[in-house]
Amino acid sequence: MSRTEITANPLAKAALKSRAPQLIVAALLLAGYVFAIVAGWIGTPVGSSNFSIVFVWIAWWALLILVAVPLVGRGWCAVCPIPLPGEWLQRRALLAPPAEKPRSQAFRRLRWPNALRNIWLQSACFLLLALFSSVLLTTPLVTAMVLAGMLLAAMALGIAFERRAFCRYVCPVGGFIGLYAQAAPVELRIKDKRVCAACSDKPCYRGSQAGYGCPWDVFPGGLSRNTYCGLCMECIRTCPRDNIALNARPCGADLVQPSKRLDEAFKAFIMLGSAMIYAAVLLGPWGVLKNAAYRVGTAAWFIYAGAFLALTLLLLPGIFALCTLPARRGRSLRRSFAAFSSAIIPLGLAFWMAFSLSFVLTNATYIAASLSDPLGLGWNLFGTARLAWQPLLTSLVAPAQTVALVGGLLWAVSVARGIGARLSGSSLPVSAFCLAATLAMLWLLL
Amino acid sequence: MRRPELLARLVLGLLVATAIAAPIWIRSRTALIHARMADSGGWSPDVLHAQVGQPLHLSLTSDDVMHGFAVGQMDMPSVDVEPGKVSDITLSFKRPGTYTFYCTRWCGINHWRMRGTIEVTGDEPTSDNVAAPLYVQLGLDIDAAHEAAVVPGRAPSAGGGAQLADSPALSAFLRPDFYRTHSPYETWQQLRSEPQLSQRGDQQLWDMVAFIWQSNTTPEAVTRGRQLFEQNCAACHGASGGGNGVFADQLASASAAGGVNMMVQRPANLADPRRMLGASPALLEGKILRGGMGTGMPSWGPIFNEAEIWKIISYLYTFQFKEFSQ
Amino acid sequence: MKLRSSLAGAVVVGLAALIVAFAPLPTNRGPQPAARTIRVEASQFSYSPSVFSVNQGDTVTIELVSQDVVHGLYVDGYGISTESDPGQSRTLTFVASRPGSFRIRCNVTCGAMHPFMIGRLNVGPDLTLLRSVGLAFLGLAGLAFFARPTPREAGPA
Repeated sequence: MSRTEITANPLAKAALKSRAPQLIVAALLLAGYVFAIVAGWIGTPVGSSNFSIVFVWIAWWALLILVAVPLVGRGWCAVCPIPLPGEWLQRRALLAPPAEKPRSQAFRRLRWPNALRNIWLQSACFLLLALFSSVLLTTPLVTAMVLAGMLLAAMALGIAFERRAFCRYVCPVGGFIGLYAQAAPVELRIKDKRVCAACSDKPCYRGSQAGYGCPWDVFPGGLSRNTYCGLCMECIRTCPRDNIALNARPCGADLVQPSKRLDEAFKAFIMLGSAMIYAAVLLGPWGVLKNAAYRVGTAAWFIYAGAFLALTLLLLPGIFALCTLPARRGRSLRRSFAAFSSAIIPLGLAFWMAFSLSFVLTNATYIAASLSDPLGLGWNLFGTARLAWQPLLTSLVAPAQTVALVGGLLWAVSVARGIGARLSGSSLPVSAFCLAATLAMLWLLL
Repeated sequence: MRRPELLARLVLGLLVATAIAAPIWIRSRTALIHARMADSGGWSPDVLHAQVGQPLHLSLTSDDVMHGFAVGQMDMPSVDVEPGKVSDITLSFKRPGTYTFYCTRWCGINHWRMRGTIEVTGDEPTSDNVAAPLYVQLGLDIDAAHEAAVVPGRAPSAGGGAQLADSPALSAFLRPDFYRTHSPYETWQQLRSEPQLSQRGDQQLWDMVAFIWQSNTTPEAVTRGRQLFEQNCAACHGASGGGNGVFADQLASASAAGGVNMMVQRPANLADPRRMLGASPALLEGKILRGGMGTGMPSWGPIFNEAEIWKIISYLYTFQFKEFSQ
Repeated sequence: MKLRSSLAGAVVVGLAALIVAFAPLPTNRGPQPAARTIRVEASQFSYSPSVFSVNQGDTVTIELVSQDVVHGLYVDGYGISTESDPGQSRTLTFVASRPGSFRIRCNVTCGAMHPFMIGRLNVGPDLTLLRSVGLAFLGLAGLAFFARPTPREAGPA
C-alpha cells in the first residue's frame, strides 16, 4: 500500500504551513455563516428562497458529503468557522502566538471530563437534530437558531475548556465527518516514529512560538487513524523536526484495523439508519411519514421519533450484532460487534452520498436563485432571481446512485471479509446484512 | 500587538460586521407587503394609503403558499404573489374612497377572508350615490326559502324555447327588468296563466323560460361568468355547482367547533332545480353581494362589480338550462 | 486484498456489469397501450394516490385536483408539469413512452415541506432497479470468486 507525501511538494507545504490561505477561507466562511444566521432570522420564511436553507442544506451539504468528506476526510474541519470566535478568544490572537505571553494565570481552562471523552455526546446531538430535521431543513428561522446556537456553544466551550472541546466532543457534524474520514484518501501522519520518541517537549501537543498545541486534543505522534485529526495543520507548523506529513493514500486505509470502540460502532449505525429513514421520509411517496416527521409535538411525531431511535440504536445494531455471532470465536459479543462495524462505515458513506445526490440535484437551481436574492426581498444581483425550479441531470441521478450504493456495498463487504479473515471467522452474515441494507436503499432511492 | 495581527482583526471585524449589518439595514429599508394564509394573519400590512392621481407602488411577497393580488371593482389584471419572490405592481386611483384588495389564488379554506383596504384620499368628488342593490329595492328577504313548487321533468332547453320565440306573448317577458326580478318558476307560472300559451305543455313553457333566460345574456357573458365561478366559487360549491367542492366537507363539519363557526354550513347546491329555479337573479345577486352572515359564504360586494355579478348569475342558470351558451 | 488472476477477474466482472447495466431486455409484447385517466388529489404535502402504475405506451391523463392550496405536479424524467388551484382542476396528458419509475414532484411552493411533496409514477417494470440489484449481486459474486481476503498488514507505517 503506497502513500504519497503531499507535503513533499514545497508549494503544497508552504500553502499548508502558512496561516493566510486557511484563515482567509475560514474568515469568508465565517462571514457567510453569520450572513446565513441573519438571513434565516430576517429573510423570507420560505425555505427554498432563503439563503440560510439553500446554502446550508443544499450547497454546503452537497460540497461536504459529495466532495469534502470522500476526498479529504476532515477537510471541512480545517476551515470550519464555528470554533473560530471561541478559539480566538481562547488564544487571544488570530494569527501565530504573540511573542510575549502575558498570560494571566487567573483563569485556567477546564479539562474536558473523562466520562464525556467519547463520541456519545456527538451522537446524541446528531440524533437531536435528526429528529427535528424536517423542520430544520425547511424553516429558515430554525436553521438560523441552530447555527447561532452552535456558534455560541463553541464560543462558550472555547472559553471554559481547553482546546476545541466543541469540535471534538459536541459538534453533531464532526461526529460523522470523523467516522467517514477513515475512508478518505488523505491522512496526516508522522514520518518517523524514532524522531518523535527522541523529542522531549512535544510542541505538537503543547504548543510553541510557532503555533498552538493540537486543538483536537490528539497527540500527532500517535495518530494512526483519521477520526479525530481535524487537519488544522497546527502540528505541521509547530514540529521543529519537520516530522509530520500530509499523505495521499489508498481509500479506507484506516478501516483495516477493526475498531474496538462501541461509541464509534453505534455512530456508524446511527448514520446508516438515518440515511435510510431520510430516504423514506423525504424522498418517498408516503405522506403519512412526512406529516409525522414535520408536525413536531404531535402523537404521530413521538411515534416517528421513537421508531427513528429504535431503528438506529436497537434494531440495526441488534441484528448486526447477531450477524457477528458466527465469527465470534470466544470473544465477547461487544468485541466482535465493534470489530465488524467498521464495514458499516463505507456503506453509510455510500448511503449518504446516494441520498444527497438526489436531494441536491433536484434542488440545485435554488442555489442560483438564492445567490441573486438571498433574503427574498426582491433583489436580483446576478439576474437569476426568477430562475424557475428545475431538477438537474435527472437521467444521471439513478446511475450515479447505483454506482455509489453498489460500490459502497462491495467496499463494505471487502472490509467485512478482511475483518473476518483477521478474526478467523465467517463474514457471511455481515455481508448479507450489508446486502440487505443496500437492496432496501436501492428500492427507496431508485 | 503586532501589525499583521491588528490588520487581521480589523479585516475580520469589518467582514463580519458587514455580513450582519448590511442585510439588516437593507431589510429595514424595504417595504414589503407580506401575504400569508388567512389563518396565519392574511395580508400584512392590511391597510394601505394612497392619493388620487399619485401612483401607488407595491411590492408583494408570500410567506407560505401561492397567493394573488387584485383590487376589487378596479379593472386590473391580478398579480401572482409567489412564496419567497417579490412581485411589483403600480396602482393609480381616480376617485377617493375605500378600496378592497384581495387574494386571487386559493390558499386554503379561508382564502376569501384574505382581504385588506386601500384608503384613497383626494379632492376629487367621491362617486355619485350608488343605488341600493336590487334585492333591497324590491324588499326581498334573501334568507327566506325560495323553493320552486314545480320543476321540469328534464332540463329545459333554450334552443327548444327559441323555436317558440315568435309568440307575441313573450315580448313582455324578454325585458331585462322582468328577468332580474322574477325567478324561472315565477316566469313559468306567468307563462302558464297566459291564455295565448294555454295549449303549450309544461315542458314547452319551461323551454320558453330557458329561452328568456338565454336572451338576457350573451355567450361571452356566460364564458366570463364561468371563469369567475371557477376561480372564486368552485372550490366550495364544486365545479358543477353541486355543493361538493374541495372545501365542502370541511365547511359542513366546521359548525361542530362552535364559537365563530357556529353558523358555517355546507355550501349550497347550486345545481338543485328546486332551489335555483325558485331564485330570481335579484335574489342571487343579493346572496352574492351580501354573503351568508356567518354561514361561510363570502360577501362579494367589495370585489365584483355589478356587471361581473350578472355574468356569474347567468352562468349559474346554465346548471339548469341546456343549450344555454349557444 | 490480493486478487487471484486480478486482471482476468476484473475483465470478466466488468463485461458482465456492462451487460447487466445496458443490455436491452426483450420488451415482452406486454399489454396493449391504453388510455388511462388517473385522478390525483393534492394536499399539503402528499398526493393521493401517491403511487400509480401504467404500462409503457399508455396515453396517460392525470387530473390534478388540489384540496387546499395551489399545487403543481411535475413528472421527473418526462419534464412535464401542470398546476391546479382548489376548485380548478387541470389535466396533464402525455404518452408514457419512457419506461421506469419516476418521481412526481410538486413544482408550486405550497408550504414548508413542499420540496418533499413526492409521488411515484411507474411505467412498466422498474428496469433500473432490477439492473441495479443485478449489479449488486454480480459485484458480490465477483468479490467471492476473484478476490481472496487476506488479513491485511497492521496499520500504516
